[in-house]
Amino acid sequence: MTKVLVYIEAQGGQVTGTSLELIAAAQSLGGTVEALVLDADPAGLTGQVKGADTILTMADAALSPYLPEAHAKALAHVVAERSPDVVLVAYSSTGLDLGPVVAVKANRPLVSYCTKLAIEDGAVVAQSQAYGGKLTAASKAPLPAVVAITPGSYREEDVADRAGATESIAAPAGLGDLRTRFKSAQTPDPDAIDITQCDKLLCVGRGIGDADSIDIAREVAAKIGAEIAGSRPVIDAGWLPKERQVGKSGNKVKPRLYLAVGVSGAPEHLEGMGSAELIIAVNSDAKAPIFDHAHFGTTVDLFDLLPALSERLGGG
Amino acid sequence: MPDRPILVAVVLAAALAISGWRFYRVFRPVLSAPGEYRFDELWERFVGVLSNVGLHKRLLKIRYSGVLHALIFSSFIVLFTAILQAFGSGLFPGFSLAPIGGNTWIAGAQELFTVLILIGLGMALYQRVVIKPKRFEGSNKLDALLIYALVFGVVATMTLEFAFHIAAGDDSSAAWRPIAATIAGWLTAAGFSGESAEAGATFFYWAHILVILGFLIYIPGSKHRHMFTAVPNIFLRSMKPKGTLPKADLDHPPIGVQEIGQFHWKHKLDMLSCTECGRCQAACPAYAAGQPLSPKKLIMDLRDHMVAVDHGHSDGVVDLVGGVISEQTLWACTTCRACMEVCPIHIEHVPKIVEMRRTMVEDGRVSPLLQDALGKLQQYGNSFGKPPRQRAKWTKELSFKIKDARKEPVDILWFVGDYASYDPRVQRITVKVAETLNAAGVDFGILMDGEQNSGNDVRRVGEEGLFETLAQSNIDAIAACDFKRIVTTDPHSLNALRQEYGAFGGDFEVLHYTQLLDELIGQGRLKLARGEGATVTYHDPCYLGRYNGGFDAPRNLIAKAGYTLHEMGRCRENSFCCGAGGGRIWQDEEGITERPSENRIKEALGLGDATLFVVACPKDTVMYTAAVQNLGVEDRITVRDVIDLIEVAQA
Amino acid sequence: MRVVVVLRLVPDLTEELEIDESGTDIDREWIGIKLNEFDDHALEEAVLLKEGSGATVTALALDGEGVDRMLQSAIARGADAAVKVEHGMEHIPDQRTAAAILAGAIKELGADLILTGVQTPEDVFGQLAPFLAAHLDMPTVNAVGGVSADGDNAVDVRQEYSGGMSAILGVTLPAVLGIQTASQPPRYVSGSKLRQAMSAEIATLSGADAGAATGAEITGLQEPERGDGATMFDGDAETVAGKIVDVLNERGLLGG
Repeated sequence: MTKVLVYIEAQGGQVTGTSLELIAAAQSLGGTVEALVLDADPAGLTGQVKGADTILTMADAALSPYLPEAHAKALAHVVAERSPDVVLVAYSSTGLDLGPVVAVKANRPLVSYCTKLAIEDGAVVAQSQAYGGKLTAASKAPLPAVVAITPGSYREEDVADRAGATESIAAPAGLGDLRTRFKSAQTPDPDAIDITQCDKLLCVGRGIGDADSIDIAREVAAKIGAEIAGSRPVIDAGWLPKERQVGKSGNKVKPRLYLAVGVSGAPEHLEGMGSAELIIAVNSDAKAPIFDHAHFGTTVDLFDLLPALSERLGGG
Repeated sequence: MPDRPILVAVVLAAALAISGWRFYRVFRPVLSAPGEYRFDELWERFVGVLSNVGLHKRLLKIRYSGVLHALIFSSFIVLFTAILQAFGSGLFPGFSLAPIGGNTWIAGAQELFTVLILIGLGMALYQRVVIKPKRFEGSNKLDALLIYALVFGVVATMTLEFAFHIAAGDDSSAAWRPIAATIAGWLTAAGFSGESAEAGATFFYWAHILVILGFLIYIPGSKHRHMFTAVPNIFLRSMKPKGTLPKADLDHPPIGVQEIGQFHWKHKLDMLSCTECGRCQAACPAYAAGQPLSPKKLIMDLRDHMVAVDHGHSDGVVDLVGGVISEQTLWACTTCRACMEVCPIHIEHVPKIVEMRRTMVEDGRVSPLLQDALGKLQQYGNSFGKPPRQRAKWTKELSFKIKDARKEPVDILWFVGDYASYDPRVQRITVKVAETLNAAGVDFGILMDGEQNSGNDVRRVGEEGLFETLAQSNIDAIAACDFKRIVTTDPHSLNALRQEYGAFGGDFEVLHYTQLLDELIGQGRLKLARGEGATVTYHDPCYLGRYNGGFDAPRNLIAKAGYTLHEMGRCRENSFCCGAGGGRIWQDEEGITERPSENRIKEALGLGDATLFVVACPKDTVMYTAAVQNLGVEDRITVRDVIDLIEVAQA
Repeated sequence: MRVVVVLRLVPDLTEELEIDESGTDIDREWIGIKLNEFDDHALEEAVLLKEGSGATVTALALDGEGVDRMLQSAIARGADAAVKVEHGMEHIPDQRTAAAILAGAIKELGADLILTGVQTPEDVFGQLAPFLAAHLDMPTVNAVGGVSADGDNAVDVRQEYSGGMSAILGVTLPAVLGIQTASQPPRYVSGSKLRQAMSAEIATLSGADAGAATGAEITGLQEPERGDGATMFDGDAETVAGKIVDVLNERGLLGG
């Protein structure tokens, strides 16, 4: 029977939704699911974990706040102790810290960016996003393996409840002997615009090209009562402030309307907006991945479409 | 009391010494500046001086100012005879212009020009105080008024001296001096005669001399230096083709100009010669758009800084960019050359701006948008960030197979340009040009993905290294082809290929497509179906018109296509830039209160009857189409490229 | 502080990608290549460290087509030295292999801080920075949005999490960081500096053995399934704008 170990990540004392998605992924493989909670005081988190056959906990002062080094040591230790067939981490900041390190330490293959996972003939068979989502890579890696799952690939709602006995694991020797220290945490400025709370968003992507066109996008946004947001390239270029960023390194949004203009739809972006209720995408590249996730789309040039939309929407 | 000759000599010597010292202090920075050769084509230089100084060619473009200047200028020349007489007779008793007409026709001329200069001064005063043209904003008004007062003083004292002479009984020139004679009549009536009149004449003689010398001492610190510098400044103007910027020595940094001392002597002479007339400011599209650039202020600020540095009063400010001149000011320039075209004394504004931009680019001080565009140009050879292989994608729309000029000989090598190749708003025009050339049986081809951005605007944003890289790549690609002439769609490319590539080993015969079409019609190879004869107006692209003299071909095409041309006020050399040139198209619009393109569309609408706004530059198509949309006047005027008017007659 | 920044050329995603005959890789014959965007940020962060605290910066890359030019432009940007690593492979299959080869060269160079981009478009089998950390037995922090020196022997690192959260971590060197965003956007490097750097010398090191393969392999590349896909609106801009407005109206997303 396949044994899957799920690394549970927490943020601000909360188990992330992504972690529960990992449990859904683990359950889909059909074996036993072990969820690993690493924390100074795991009790607060274990209650939030569902769907695991066993909840493994390791309690040590070095484990919170999160330090990549401590969690990598701890996870590698647990992997060595429990010898799971598959280790699941999220494709997130923490998953990036842990997955490859554990894979090398445990001498296991790693499959990253995974959106679909199965086990066949003693190997993981995975689908991954590659080339900014322009292609899908099917791959095979012999068990035991480590897999990093792209957030949003599985649904938290699909997790079936399981008994979830808790079992504690002793911290490895020297866990607190670290070269990394936590100094401070930063949360977003509460006064800044919170696009995660917005009902309607008009997101501009790289295709917008210049500040001029952001103005016309603003005009359209104002007319439909949407806030303006941007994909990472637009934020990096300084055209919009960071708090308006949608995507993996920005905000995860779930508006009623998401109008994506000149956004190609890289996996990191889709992760941030894939669950919007209505997605309308404007991109001149008919092959842009955004169209796979949009409800409506058009390849009309945005420089023609935005003025036309503005006009159509009139003075409102 | 010592002899008058000694006194005059002493006063004159002292005044000359003070004035000379003041001139020296102002001109010292010029003397120590880096070199620049400006002594070729002497005859052409001389002719330029004649037309610009003698005939007031540029000054008269603003009629009122030109006329008043002509009045004062010519009077100064004539009245110089009076000054000569005053100092000659003062220094050398017995000196007189009488033998050559000093009491007859010269006296008459002096009288006449006294009237003319007073009219000129009156007009000048009226202009300064009542009309107050916007172009004077930022100019030194007090300086101007003081000069009017001094000039008035010179002629007033002169006339009064003559009047007292006549009143004293010396009526040798009275017949030729009706004004002085009339005043003398009043003086006589007031009781002046004999000795008292002599004393009056002596008094006004000295007053006359002292006002002249005061003027001479005042001049070095005043914009009226131009009395002395205008002629050399025009004579020493750049004789290079208008569209050729000076090279930067990439192997020997620093590149560009960051300190005033790095400007060569002619740039500094320009600064000292500026008359603050503000014609450049009035012509400047950036200034009109509310941006922080006035070419006049730029020159004045550089001048004041140069003098301050020399006098040790610069308060430690060393950097020009960000210190004396703000970055926004420098980025505001579209390099349209309107300022240089109107400057009566041929100041070279644009090269100075480009030199300072070079410093910013070398320091990496570029806006995110510009960085994005330049980065794409570095990576892909075009500012769109599109793969080079997509450059010729538009040719799929053609009804025939276009030649790859790299693979087979062609008569015409067509350098298409970035916007014409990649911008979906312009591709339609590019296809039409190709179909028209094909219909006329022209043997032509393109460089396909061997073409890169011409670098014209890259050079003008100050990115000299990238410009040279792009230019070299294009020159190599072009040189490997077998062709006779090059045609461009884009005036900016035209300028680079025709005027800039020569210095890098690319000497080609280059023409704009409008010129080729005009030529083909002339040869009977291209026959047009006459259009419906709508009334249109035409916008001269800066780099086709002002820079490359391509004024007539587009107009000929418009006429031959059957359209009626209604010219805007600002046409040909005085065309008003769309605001996209010099890399502006890659910059944001911060600080712009009215886009130059919208200002221009309003001008066209003001004609009342023009329904088409005809352009001959891909960037104009982009800029003006947007302007018409922004103004919401699509129902009144439509932007069209010249090629859109051309319908080939069916055989 | 000796900073090594690892740079990689990756396929230019602005171009059309084609799958090669094997069906398991993209056709690399014609594809354009460019510096990995996140590596560009890593390089900028390295140069900022140099300017801020006198670090020396070595740009390091696996040898390959276009690598000389990429390394020279790193020198134009401000790197002190450039080194390429020979490996005898036609194409590096994944980042894990790259890490194994590079680790030897990094040990030979001696490095206090190793920076590289957090990811590339080709990371199906994992990311370089944590792999390098594992091989070099150094701590690693990924998704880093800024690094500042804390004395000679440590750095403060801002790690970014989803939802705009971040934490400052102190890391004692040596360490490997996966950079997501530099403290400042990558600066513009003028054409003249690039031209000057064209003559810069590039040192060569031989890489370590790639080690045994993990057995993971790509079995097929394909264009993503269209899924349900979007309902596409065709027509000119006015028509499409009209259709969009209709959809918004139907769903009550306009007005109110």
